[in-house]
Amino acid sequence: MARTITIDPVTRIEGHAKITLQLDDAGQLADARFHVAEVRGFETFCEGHPFTEMGGLTARICGICPVSHLLAAAKTGDKLLAVQPPPAARQLRRLLNLAQICQSHALSFFHLSSPDFLLGWESDPARRNVFGLMAADPALARAGIRLRQFGQHLIALLAGRKIHAAWAVPGGVRSPLSVEARDWILTHLPEAKATVAQALALYKTLLDGPLQREQRTFGDFPSLFMALIASDGRWECIEGAIRFVDSNGQIVADGLSEDDVASFLGEAVEPWSYLKFPYYKPLGYPAGLYRVGPLARLNVCERIGTPWADRELAEFRQRSGTAASGGRIVTSSFAYHHARLVEIVACLEGIEQLVSEASLMGGRIRAHADLNANEAVGVSEAPRGTLFHHYRVDDNGLITRVNLIIATGQNNLAMNRTVLQIAREFIPTPVADDAEIPEPLLNRVEAGIRCFDPCLSCSTHAAGQMPLHIALVDAGGRVLAERVRD
Amino acid sequence: MTQEQVPTRRLRLATVWLAGCSGCHMSLLDLDEWLFELARWAEIVYSPIASDTKVFPENVDIALVEGAVANTDNRALALLLRARSRLVVAFGDCAVTGNVPALRNLWSCQSVLDRSYGELADQTPQHPHAPGVVPELLERVLPLHQVIAVDLFVPGCPPSAARIRAVLQPLLQGRMPVLEGADLLRFG
Amino acid sequence: MTVVTMAIDGEPLAVPVGSTLLQACHQRGVVLPTLCHLDGLQPVGACRLCLLELGGGERLVPACLTPVAEGMVVRTDTLQLRAWRRLTVELLFAEGNHVCACCVANGACELQDAAVAVGLDHVSVAYQYPRRHVDASHPRFALDHNHCILCTRCVRACDELEGAHVWDVAWRGSHCQIIAGLDQPWGAVEACTSCGQCVDACPTGALFDKHDGSSERQPQRERAALLRQARETRQWHNQGEGP
Repeated sequence: MARTITIDPVTRIEGHAKITLQLDDAGQLADARFHVAEVRGFETFCEGHPFTEMGGLTARICGICPVSHLLAAAKTGDKLLAVQPPPAARQLRRLLNLAQICQSHALSFFHLSSPDFLLGWESDPARRNVFGLMAADPALARAGIRLRQFGQHLIALLAGRKIHAAWAVPGGVRSPLSVEARDWILTHLPEAKATVAQALALYKTLLDGPLQREQRTFGDFPSLFMALIASDGRWECIEGAIRFVDSNGQIVADGLSEDDVASFLGEAVEPWSYLKFPYYKPLGYPAGLYRVGPLARLNVCERIGTPWADRELAEFRQRSGTAASGGRIVTSSFAYHHARLVEIVACLEGIEQLVSEASLMGGRIRAHADLNANEAVGVSEAPRGTLFHHYRVDDNGLITRVNLIIATGQNNLAMNRTVLQIAREFIPTPVADDAEIPEPLLNRVEAGIRCFDPCLSCSTHAAGQMPLHIALVDAGGRVLAERVRD
Repeated sequence: MTQEQVPTRRLRLATVWLAGCSGCHMSLLDLDEWLFELARWAEIVYSPIASDTKVFPENVDIALVEGAVANTDNRALALLLRARSRLVVAFGDCAVTGNVPALRNLWSCQSVLDRSYGELADQTPQHPHAPGVVPELLERVLPLHQVIAVDLFVPGCPPSAARIRAVLQPLLQGRMPVLEGADLLRFG
Repeated sequence: MTVVTMAIDGEPLAVPVGSTLLQACHQRGVVLPTLCHLDGLQPVGACRLCLLELGGGERLVPACLTPVAEGMVVRTDTLQLRAWRRLTVELLFAEGNHVCACCVANGACELQDAAVAVGLDHVSVAYQYPRRHVDASHPRFALDHNHCILCTRCVRACDELEGAHVWDVAWRGSHCQIIAGLDQPWGAVEACTSCGQCVDACPTGALFDKHDGSSERQPQRERAALLRQARETRQWHNQGEGP
């Protein structure tokens, strides 16, 4: 008999999501879907607000990556003012972005995903989490916690607070790097580097051993990849132009500007998820599936540009690069985990270079102007991928239209494909009518989503006709009476 | 907190996120190494980031609830956790005041409707609708205390790790914290 | 200089004739929560936060407007007063759309200060979610009605300090709002000299500089008092400093 098995909620990710596995009459797996179960309506309720408030407003889209939205809002604001921020401001913004990518990737690896690798896919669900890691390997857990803390503290030193700082503004930033901040960073960098080195060594051991099957089967398929890239081909997190590559390593589109995003990115809607489905327009929907984020950034860039990160990038490609691409492109979504560690290295080396620049510590850090344009798009690389903010404002600077193309959302098609691939690989079929699928197998399906380290609070869209459900409850939570209107 | 003060039974602690941004949970993680201390006093029995338990369990001592109540899933979970928890804490400005998610209340549901899934969609514009899977939005986004009885309010967007610790420490020792002064009370 | 003797919280003190109860409390070292009061502007008693118990407690009077009198007995801190003050602040939060998180005055807001002063940890009255707008028609400044608490400090600052009387109060009940000119967009009001006094006087994030984003407000709320003093006494410094 056909039935649906639901994993609800998907845990150890950011945000609200469910996975459904559809079994047909014969107990075969007909489909698997990833459903995002939240939407708050930022694209509507930002209307009427001054564009200068968008940094503070859109930061509240997400508590892990508020810096991404702050930077994208600031860059959009730069264009509305028609100013070029001073060089020191652009580097300070880059420094902030590197700090947030570092802390976010540390969170993803240590707090959210490592319990699967280190405690085991089949381990007790009650202990398969960061607290279980703290109990099983306190030294490693402490190191991971302190690595995230390094990034968070750097954000606070620059921007005034760890979460929802309002420091990047249209035109530049509000304050320079202080001497105390620079000294703190240089003092604590060695420990951060040692932690990521330890994590890489550990992870490579696992890749050579128990994680081989996951590497092969967790979302391994050809696709386009999109990311920012510097003009000299280096890995880029905040400036540069947009490039698409395919799984053979061919450049499909290059030098794209965020101003033209509507021409190369479209968004589709499916009735079973609040998250829209971005696709590469020239290929249509759903053939225009593409991936963003750490895996995409490493695939798109030619090199990172700092010594240790480039060594790690070379090894990353040599280990996991496909034959079809001559070892250049990695297609396995499981490799996102490895890519995150490589990017932490890139961030730490980038931070080290930047804090040594005296120009970040004073001088001009903000360009001043009044409103000079009515429409603009700002782009930055969030930890999870390329993020676009597109604002239209009236002549007084009040928002009339907002479109946000969120980093994680662009992986929606890929995430759906991944859960189906994992379900097909790991769940033996046919599934008998009355059988339960064992929890460890369901965990593996969920873990496919964790590869992408999604940020689902960034799903922002509100919708439609509201069914009305009224329930009368007492203070203890018991439902006394209810009415439903569809 | 000294060795002598550790109780014989660890408190059953749960964290929940409703319509929030997860910033309050991230601020909780900003307790950093004090999390080791927390683990001596409390057992995390439900948490979207720190547990794979799918159903909110019975006999929870303290539930930290982040986020406003914006859809039917949020409301159902709020009612469930109230019934199964001794102490419910509205954790952060979204839970305490509605905050940014409640800005949706300034628009009628009808007008909010078409913007993202109609006007801003290039393919297959439609409103997501999948009963039992995708929750319906509530007419109004509500702060937590307008849905369930709340025992303690911790404002902040997010509350800093220092504020969270100042609240948790007495709770873990069986005392209600007293929130006074800007460091513990200020919104925003 | 003649004085009256009165009692504040059971303690006698001598207060100069012509003082208000607010000044008397200040003299005694008692800090009352206020919002519509601003040194340098005429008091109006709009916010009702400074209510004190007079005599046996059967009368509540606004301290900012009530002159001291011989033999007056007031109490500044009773359970009833605490409850009323807390309710007043709750009503102010519920009446508008005060999302502190992204407000230009986050961290530099007197409404936030008042909430802390009365121990407010949540608002128990129903939020109204009024549909209000932002007037950003002025080239330099903007007025976000969502954050306005109708304290009228802007009205008084413009009228008393600059003399332009750009701002006034219109409509009634929940429709009551601050208007510019003859209920025109601020940028169309020719009387406005762009002096910024109203922005300096605003206790919340309602009036602000258009270049300021979230949490960027750097208030200059002491300017009204300094300007009043400069005008009346021809002194341009704080008392005690030479010209």
